[in-house]
Amino acid sequence: MAASRPGSGLASDPRAPNVRTGRRRRATRRPPVLALVVLALVLVAACSPPRELSGGGGKNTLQFVAWSYSIETINDNIKQFETANPGTDVQLSDYAWNDYHDVMATKFTGGSPPDVQYSSDHWLQEWVSAGWIAPIEEHCPEVGQYKSEWAPYATQGMTYNGKLYGLPYYADLVILIYNDKMLRQAGFNQPPQTWEELTSQALAIKQKGIAKYPVNIPLKKDDPWSIEIFYSLVYSLGGHMFDGENPVFARPGSEAGRALQWLVDARDKHKVMDPASLEVSEPDVVKTMGAGKHAFTVLAKYNLAELNQGNHSQKGNFKTALMPGSSHATVGFVRFYALSSAAAKAGKDKLTQSCKLLNYFGGKSDGEYKVVKRWALEKGLGFANLPLYSDPEVQKAINSWGDAKLERQQAQLARSKEGLTRFWGTWDISAREQISAAVSGQVGVQQALTSMEKRWAELR
Amino acid sequence: MGGATLARTRRRAQAGGGAVRTASSLYRWGSVAPVVALIALFTLFPLAYAAWTSVRGVLLTQPGSTPFVGSDNYADVIRGSAFHGAARNSLLFTAVTVPLVTVLGLAVALLLNQRLPGVGALRVLVLLPWSIPLVSAGIMWRLLLHGNFGALNGALLQLGIVDHDIPWLSSPRLAMWSVVAAHLWREFPLPAVLFLAGLQTIPTSVLDAARVDGAGTWQRFRFVILPLLKAPLLIVLVYETMIAIAVFDLVYVLTGGGPGTATTLISWLAYVITFRFLNLGQGAALSFLISLAILALISLYIRIVRVEGETP
Amino acid sequence: MKGRRALGRALLAVAGLALAAFILVPFLWALSASLQTETALFKRPPDWIPRPFTVANYEYVLTGKVPAAYEQRGLLRSPITQEARLLPWGLQNSFLVALGVVALNLVLGTIASYTFARERFRGGRVALLFVLGSRLLVPVAVAIPIYMTLQRLGLLDTKLALVLVHGAFTLPFTIWVLTLFFQAIPRELEEAAMLDGCGRFSALRRVVLPLAAPGLAAVGSFSFLFSYNEFLFALLTTSTVRSKTIPVMISAISVNPDASYTLISVGIIMAIIAPIAVALLFRRYIVSGLISSLGERT
Repeated sequence: MAASRPGSGLASDPRAPNVRTGRRRRATRRPPVLALVVLALVLVAACSPPRELSGGGGKNTLQFVAWSYSIETINDNIKQFETANPGTDVQLSDYAWNDYHDVMATKFTGGSPPDVQYSSDHWLQEWVSAGWIAPIEEHCPEVGQYKSEWAPYATQGMTYNGKLYGLPYYADLVILIYNDKMLRQAGFNQPPQTWEELTSQALAIKQKGIAKYPVNIPLKKDDPWSIEIFYSLVYSLGGHMFDGENPVFARPGSEAGRALQWLVDARDKHKVMDPASLEVSEPDVVKTMGAGKHAFTVLAKYNLAELNQGNHSQKGNFKTALMPGSSHATVGFVRFYALSSAAAKAGKDKLTQSCKLLNYFGGKSDGEYKVVKRWALEKGLGFANLPLYSDPEVQKAINSWGDAKLERQQAQLARSKEGLTRFWGTWDISAREQISAAVSGQVGVQQALTSMEKRWAELR
Repeated sequence: MGGATLARTRRRAQAGGGAVRTASSLYRWGSVAPVVALIALFTLFPLAYAAWTSVRGVLLTQPGSTPFVGSDNYADVIRGSAFHGAARNSLLFTAVTVPLVTVLGLAVALLLNQRLPGVGALRVLVLLPWSIPLVSAGIMWRLLLHGNFGALNGALLQLGIVDHDIPWLSSPRLAMWSVVAAHLWREFPLPAVLFLAGLQTIPTSVLDAARVDGAGTWQRFRFVILPLLKAPLLIVLVYETMIAIAVFDLVYVLTGGGPGTATTLISWLAYVITFRFLNLGQGAALSFLISLAILALISLYIRIVRVEGETP
Repeated sequence: MKGRRALGRALLAVAGLALAAFILVPFLWALSASLQTETALFKRPPDWIPRPFTVANYEYVLTGKVPAAYEQRGLLRSPITQEARLLPWGLQNSFLVALGVVALNLVLGTIASYTFARERFRGGRVALLFVLGSRLLVPVAVAIPIYMTLQRLGLLDTKLALVLVHGAFTLPFTIWVLTLFFQAIPRELEEAAMLDGCGRFSALRRVVLPLAAPGLAAVGSFSFLFSYNEFLFALLTTSTVRSKTIPVMISAISVNPDASYTLISVGIIMAIIAPIAVALLFRRYIVSGLISSLGERT
């Protein structure tokens, strides 16, 4: 090497590696490099992902996108659909509920749209205005027959400008869930009727040492649930978020202000709400509720089934009551299967298959709502198909973890989310951020609401 | 080759035919053009495209309509409250992490420079945090810092140091410190390696002379070692500042910018504006501003390096 | 005096242990978490050593067999996501892209650096300065415009796009290091070889490259690590298993609240094996590359 050459500069160049070591190293370098190359080649030679996972199959494969809830159940349903419809191939991809909106936006605008996908009532207007999903009745006429059997708030959530854009996957309510055993231990026989009462019950539970943080609500700003839960608090107080397209939540003395203040006080003043509520999503809250760390939460109703039937230490102790607050109202929502515009334009075969998939999952096969009923029986998901309430199997299932009568009562007091427009999905991101900022103490309650109002004005 | 042969070879080479020595212009340009073109395609061109987009209103949910809006995007972004918070967070983050990572790197370098049993193994270990993807570092720290299920809270509770879970990621202040900690863990190997190399080139004769002159450990450090580390020190400072501005991966997996906007840094904001709010015009404007800041730092860096006698 | 030195050495030993712990604890916990069942992971205090020890999580990723622990839970929402089953192909993508980037750097970079080092020509200096200056541009500054460019070119969701983008970001460093190496090798060696009958490329191959091998190793391992670890571009431009790299996959799984923390840990462990191996095997070259890359001069 150049070390032996005077004046060559390499030896005295401190930037070069140690010359002597470099020479020794070269000889010993080969085996590791070879090993790496062999490993690399092995990986390269490994087969492509199996059909069910990859985007393979091409033209005859239906691309079905969902968020990551109960994937094995969906896959099993898909298998049954494929058996009933030989020649149809369905490939499922799932993404986190937290990311779902962003991922779908990228997919639709990046040129790789799926054929059938989950959607939600709060994104309906955005997706229709952007041209991403197609009016389902025009392309799959057979689905029109189900409309008369849906709960009105569900139909409302899937209809825009008079056109229907989906079939319900599930429709449910946001409810109060409490640990009855812990309440009785603290000396209370009745669930709270107002939010103030909830606070005092929580304080008593805390003081008696039954739970350090009796309240836990998923307020992670990335979790889309946090805004739906916030809406339900506002509704329960008899308030409104929007009047048509005009925000009313930032007015002084609004119920939204009271709801937000309640959350702030629960965390900071009374210290009854788990500080980690700001970093947890729904599944985490279910885990800690189930482990007996909290007594109260506000979640979608199917979580009650989860808590009372899943493998939790507190299983069976959970009950629901009407939402505290003067009006006891709450949020009702619908998640649905949508047909993408790309599938609608892709040619008769693809369209027919997509319609079949939609009909299988959201409609009737052999005269009954197979998939919807399965979700209700196995996971306790709510449903928009009213005839199912009269089904004795369904009734029994609901009563095994909940209260069918109470559920219907709460459903009657449920309203869909106000202010849904094509930019609600974008506004919602900053709204959740402001709510999280207020609860964490970063900004004041009125300031947060005013920022949310400003953002709405910016987007309009 | 012996010296005489070498001299003869040199004379022959200098007298030799031009066809052997000089390459054709075609070859010269042909050999560097692909590289230059590729780099230009992904640096100059995107910057120009960003500039073009930043003066137009481009919303992904309104395809087909891209009106010219002049400086509106820049004004909207800068005046927005989100920007103030993010700029403040980035400034705070930079002001905290750059000194910390420098000091930590220097301390580690001093430690690795000692003759200790096992120091060889340590020198190997020190590269580990830096070699893995940044997101995996972030996720590992999330597993440690999760409020309800994290290992750190578990350990603290087990040792009896605290009696309840600490909200590392859900308290605004603690969340910022959590990002700082994960960032330090990931970045400190770089200054450590640089300083170690610097330390190793300090001639022992200089240190011995100082010791003979009666200088204590601290004095040797302050008056002999530190001045000789000036070059790597400056470079680390500027480089780590650029890294601190560009932090994105960690925020993505550790806090998502939250709680609220407590850990929303400037590059995170650009991402959110573009891919969550789907506002490409404003996103391009903000990323253009970030590019300008970084270019300013790059020129500062080049000036420092040149001053130190470096040939680029 | 001796006592003080012993105390000093003891303190240094403690500091060394603290450093080792600081570095290793995150790795070890991720490893432990990946070998536990989900319920075990939530115990307070947590089991530091997995008890029960299970490889079911890895089995799920590699074969799709849902861990028995999940099935026993009855109605519990299962904490799996199909994303986790795509991890092996994420690794494949990451490897292919990284190797492509290494090849790009070693071939194009070597040729260009050799010219920069040996030839003087009009515009050459400017080109070199441009290339070297761009080595400091941070991805986030151009990520979004690059996304838009690729979208226009129809290159989204392809491995080729990643190779090109990563290549553009690693070439400046490669050229910087290799140009220095080539400049430090005396011309006379090649000229002698050429006079002895070698062509230009032959001279390059037989004389220059072996001498520059440490530099090649440095830029090769740097390019590999940069490409493998790169996240932002991969996140923005990939969307299906056709091109998704491992950092994108594990981050998606990690922010998915429906994914078990044990699955997340498996993702991390699988992702870090390759870069750690590269870093350990090539550490001398990486270190010298780091030193020369930042132009540090003592």
